[in-house]
Amino acid sequence: MNRERYKVGLAAALLIALVSTASAQQSASTSASDIDPGAVAALDKMGAYLRTVKTFRVTAMTTRDTVLDNGLLVKRDGKADILAQFPSHLRIETVNGEKQRLYLYDGKNFTLYGKVIQYYATMPAPPTIGQLAAVLADKYDIELPLEDLFWWGTERVNSSAIVAAADAGPADVQGTTCEHYAFRQEGIDWQIWIQLGDNPLPRRLVISTTTDEARPQYSAVYTWDLAPSFNEAAFTFEPPAEAKRIGFATVADSAGAN
Amino acid sequence: MTKVILRQTMAAVLTALLAATTGLALPNKPGGGGGGGSRGQAKSSVNNAGNRNSNSNRNTNVNENRNVNVNQNKNVNRNSNVNVNRNVDVDVDVHHRGGYYGGGCCYNSNPIATAAAVTATAMVTAAVIGSVVNTVPAGCTTTVINGMAYQQCGSTWYQPQYAGTSVTYMVVGHP
Repeated sequence: MNRERYKVGLAAALLIALVSTASAQQSASTSASDIDPGAVAALDKMGAYLRTVKTFRVTAMTTRDTVLDNGLLVKRDGKADILAQFPSHLRIETVNGEKQRLYLYDGKNFTLYGKVIQYYATMPAPPTIGQLAAVLADKYDIELPLEDLFWWGTERVNSSAIVAAADAGPADVQGTTCEHYAFRQEGIDWQIWIQLGDNPLPRRLVISTTTDEARPQYSAVYTWDLAPSFNEAAFTFEPPAEAKRIGFATVADSAGAN
Repeated sequence: MTKVILRQTMAAVLTALLAATTGLALPNKPGGGGGGGSRGQAKSSVNNAGNRNSNSNRNTNVNENRNVNVNQNKNVNRNSNVNVNRNVDVDVDVHHRGGYYGGGCCYNSNPIATAAAVTATAMVTAAVIGSVVNTVPAGCTTTVINGMAYQQCGSTWYQPQYAGTSVTYMVVGHP
């Protein structure tokens, strides 16, 4: 009799212990307090706003670390100049060191051209910038410069990937008052500065890669023009006389040029 | 007895000296210093999950059965991730680098392309069809066949291509 009672008591104690351990573990990994819902909402709001901007020109000064085999970081500066007319026109010029690239998309074809090396490659392209960005990333391993500007506000954003989010308060980016947020996802810790007011544009982005102990960083500071002037010819490629055509290597079929 | 000790000391001193001089000599070698390649790059997107395996070996080798090479190498899918020990001067944007070895820089900004590519110097001896290099040797000629550019280097033909946003050169048979 006593023994039975003892057994029941033991089982209950074990159960309580188990339950409390489980909840303790849960709070360690996914505690709601790690995620400031306001920070996530601000991100969503920025994305939704970005998708309402149908024409923009944005220039960005970027830096990107490369990690040498011995762990040393080497930071390189770059510049990107993007003219986008949604849904189907894009012109991007980049300069990274000696490497210059021109990306052109007119809704029908996508061309990548190297001004210094004088090679260009052209392929038929899907009908929207969003689809183009996806094809380039998934099939050709081509990152559109500042590609997040095309992803935010689309179904490609996975909010549940965010495991920590904080609002770091107001901060100035090149004379514009922004709200500064910090986020953690698998493999990256990142920060964004979002313009305060009616036009919640991203003004600055910093991404630290956490899968490498050297924690290499990427950063971009954006300058926006929401009423750019341009003409249609800006999006179409006319190969210069000295430029020669080559192909694109695909990621999937492991073979070379098309 | 003392003689032996003296001799041993002399030998030790000599060895030490030798080691010191070789150690000192290394940085003076052309293109020396730095060494090795890069193991990755900072991710540049928060929404692109693929951006990303920063050292993936893109397998750019084709199993082409037009083996012009005398060495009947079966073109097995070899991962040409040869760590050639030189300063890889990648992120190159020229067809070939001039005569000197190594060049200024010691890292590359496109690890994906580099991981899959063997350097041109290494390839001269064995230009296996389907292998990929970052630069072609000096003295190659650009030829356009059917509207596409090739680099002809002696009896070896390279087909330039955009791998990501970097140009790499794949060894092909005579087009």
